[in-house]
Amino acid sequence: MTRGEGFRRLFRLDRGGADVERAVDDELCFHFGLAVRELMAGGMSEADAQLEAERRFGDVERTRAGLAALDRARVAHVRRAERWSNVGQDLRYALRGLRRRPGFSAAIVLILALGIGANATMFGIVDRLLFRPPAFLPRASEVHRLYLAGRFDGKEFAATSTGYRRFREITDSAASISAAVAFWTTKIAVGVTDPEELRVSFATAGFWKLFDARPAIGRFFSEADDRVPAGTPVAVLSYGFWQARYGARDDVLGAQLRIGRFDYTIIGVAPKGFLGLSDDLPVAFIPLSSGADNSFGVRNPPNRLYHGYTINWLQIVVRRKPELSVAAATAELSRNYQRSYAAQRAEQPGSPPEAEAKPHVVVGSILTQRGPNQGTDTRVAIWLVGVALIVLVIACANVSNLLLARALQRRREIAVRLALGISRRRLLAQLLVESVLLALLGGAAGIALAASGGGLLRATLLPGVTWTNTLGDGRMLLFAAVVTLATGGLTGLAPALHAVRYDVSNALKAGSREGTYQRSRLRSALLVLQSALSVVLLVGAGLFVRSLDHVQALRLGYDPEHLALVTPNLRGVVLDSTSRETLFRELLRAAQALPGVRAAAHTASVPFYSDWEEPLFVSGIDSVSRLGSFVLSSVSPDYFDATGTRIVQGRGITGGDRLGTPGAMVVSQSMAAKLWPGRDPIGQCVRVRADTMPCSYVVGMAEDIRRGSLTDDAGLQYYLAREQFSTSFDYLFVRTSGTAESSGEAIRRGLQRVMPGASYVTVMPMTGILSPVRRSWQLGATMFTLFGALALIVAGVGLYSVISFNVAQRTQELSVRVALGARTHHVMRLVLTDAVGVALLAVALGAGAALLASRWVKPLLFATSPHDAAVYGTVTTVLVAVALVAGLVPALRAARVDPSGALRAD
Amino acid sequence: MNHEELDLLQGTLDLIVLKALIWGPLHGYEVARWVSETTKDDLRVEEGALYTALHRMEGRGWLDAEWGLSENNRKAKFYRLTSDGRRQLRLESARWTRYARAIFRVLRTA
Repeated sequence: MTRGEGFRRLFRLDRGGADVERAVDDELCFHFGLAVRELMAGGMSEADAQLEAERRFGDVERTRAGLAALDRARVAHVRRAERWSNVGQDLRYALRGLRRRPGFSAAIVLILALGIGANATMFGIVDRLLFRPPAFLPRASEVHRLYLAGRFDGKEFAATSTGYRRFREITDSAASISAAVAFWTTKIAVGVTDPEELRVSFATAGFWKLFDARPAIGRFFSEADDRVPAGTPVAVLSYGFWQARYGARDDVLGAQLRIGRFDYTIIGVAPKGFLGLSDDLPVAFIPLSSGADNSFGVRNPPNRLYHGYTINWLQIVVRRKPELSVAAATAELSRNYQRSYAAQRAEQPGSPPEAEAKPHVVVGSILTQRGPNQGTDTRVAIWLVGVALIVLVIACANVSNLLLARALQRRREIAVRLALGISRRRLLAQLLVESVLLALLGGAAGIALAASGGGLLRATLLPGVTWTNTLGDGRMLLFAAVVTLATGGLTGLAPALHAVRYDVSNALKAGSREGTYQRSRLRSALLVLQSALSVVLLVGAGLFVRSLDHVQALRLGYDPEHLALVTPNLRGVVLDSTSRETLFRELLRAAQALPGVRAAAHTASVPFYSDWEEPLFVSGIDSVSRLGSFVLSSVSPDYFDATGTRIVQGRGITGGDRLGTPGAMVVSQSMAAKLWPGRDPIGQCVRVRADTMPCSYVVGMAEDIRRGSLTDDAGLQYYLAREQFSTSFDYLFVRTSGTAESSGEAIRRGLQRVMPGASYVTVMPMTGILSPVRRSWQLGATMFTLFGALALIVAGVGLYSVISFNVAQRTQELSVRVALGARTHHVMRLVLTDAVGVALLAVALGAGAALLASRWVKPLLFATSPHDAAVYGTVTTVLVAVALVAGLVPALRAARVDPSGALRAD
Repeated sequence: MNHEELDLLQGTLDLIVLKALIWGPLHGYEVARWVSETTKDDLRVEEGALYTALHRMEGRGWLDAEWGLSENNRKAKFYRLTSDGRRQLRLESARWTRYARAIFRVLRTA
């Protein structure tokens, strides 16, 4: 027996328990053999020697078991250590490899960062909108937002807000819920000097009991503070406002804060991270009863606010009893609503009968975006999650492709290592460690990207939502980590499997000439996949960009770019109607006199901002309200000049329309067509508000305006002379020569001089009011374009790398061709045909996929067919152009091959 | 025998085994023979406990083991001190010397 065998014996020891025990036995046998022999040599009989040896040894069986246990533990430990040292070694090896090719590594990390960053960002957005329950809200699935649903004007709707009386009638006696809260959040002037309009929440006292939150300092308000009609003027600040405005000082408790027209005593601060129940964080919470008539002012005396059905201002949130189902709560609350509706009809006989209005309650999720009124923004955001995933798939395909190319270049190195006896499993692990390491770097960069760029994106595209900081968002980080690991595994698997499948002897024997065809087919497939997916994204981008174009080019019936809305706010000023009228006239004169102002006029309705309706009576029509909702504005002369709304027939409202002359009315084209189809509207008589009122005579017809929806607006509007039909709704429209946005501050300063006392004006460009309305298209167009461009760049890089790699592989073949007389343009065409072929195949596949998917994207588009030929045409051109550019450099290189050099090499 | 004394005994055994290996690799039986020859009758050490100590110290990395051939050409497991084992021996013997000196002083003054 040689020493070498001994070594092998020790190796085998590592394999398992049986070997360990055999080794122990061998050792003990040797010991006893020697002991007995020596004892016998000393003169003992064999039996005595046996006994003596065992006596000296002690308990043989126990020792034997003990030794085996010790050895097993040692072997296991060694094996673990070996595994970790392998991982460590692989990591060092991988790091060395990455450092050796910094450009290649940086490209991969960048591509992965874009893919992972885009996904982390979109996940954060959608999670915030649709999945994450409000902070501090325990058992959020039992907390519901109530929507009062029904039919009006033949259409289903679900109202988010309702009145106080309705809230009480629906929830007071309900047995299926354990708590009901009503609240209202509005922008209102906060502070005495230099007031700012900030969001304040007015809530019933039960609001705090929904949450499992304790005040940061002080206390929350309770039932004792919230008594209808006049509660205690106390306020609970939000944490952020407390920090920003008061530097987180404790002595803020007991201080006074002016909110709207009244002073409030600060009694507490909500905890950090508390957002209430809205998407956007208010600066303060006050008892509903202490603030309601504050903001509405004289227009809505408490008695109308608390006892009528006409003012809809409150959102309702309830906590359902956990043992009862949503269906049971829906049934009970709907019954209550129907009873309440009957009571309303008894008071207001004009409302449609129950059978037609079908009033019922929808018990929805606490998250508004999961409720029946899901915004288009959210639907676009969900689409963008899919888009981000496609970007990630493209990134993965591309990285896989790059790694594959590298594996091909390292073919000989790998073959040598295999020949030297590295196990294939070990090699696979090593290659995977490399791709996971790349993915980890990409993931870290992606999170950094999501934190910076993503934050900016979220703030600009969805400004109405308070976001948590990306790095503090555990759910998003977890998501990013999972995506990162999956990416690492996915991108590494194909190249690694490829690498370990090499036939060692072939790879070592052959030069680079052989054995490439098979592998480049997989690479081409990946390339076609990523190009096809970029076609899908680019088609999406094109469709949204065209929609946005159409939205922006849409004739609204007014000129938003040059239109500013002025809202006077009479805070702390009590005026009788005469001096109020004097002030408003003065404001108008001041506005008209401002430089850069082309026209100004009073109005009572503002598109997408504030509507006003009154019952209408027209002879020959039973019920005008059944024909639709007609929005009215009472306006001063010059109104149509101010808004830019065209008069298509007759005249507008003029200075001649005053008290004592017959009532004048201008109607929209659609309204005229609805009320007097086929007849001349001029001279028709309409009675406004009651059928006993004197006639208003139609003097002109104006073009329709969009005021409630860009996509389908019935366009039913009419205008009365402010002198003849006065109102307490008072806004000013100012038409500017420059953009309204740039002139806003000058207008505010000019008009503020006219305002008495603590009253003030706010100026809003009309585009600011329209931007949330246009946002979903803006969001879709921006993000699809961004992601589409990313995808295109990544696909272009992929195309370039694959083609140039193929050219390098084909150097010999090309040299032979050149040597045989092929001309430069022949060789270039050969290479470019490849590139264009891939592009065309990708266009065919991608366009097919896009056509299939377009069915679902159609509702999000505006006046754009999902099969828009121009979009598909442009995308095809762009992709082919990118393919040509990507192929050009390698093609030129191919054309310059030196036949003698290339043939001699290798 | 309470727990502390057992620990003490175990520590001593390790020390003796480490010391036995200081002149080069030995197999288990040689360690046992060296121990009984060196300690004469003053210290009785069970050979089973010696093996346990050998295997335990192998697990701790103080000893290395490999299979080789004994002087009469039979396959035997040889133990050798590792550098960790040498350091351990130095530490332990210094500790024991100090300990013994202290006890000795105590006994002399008594």
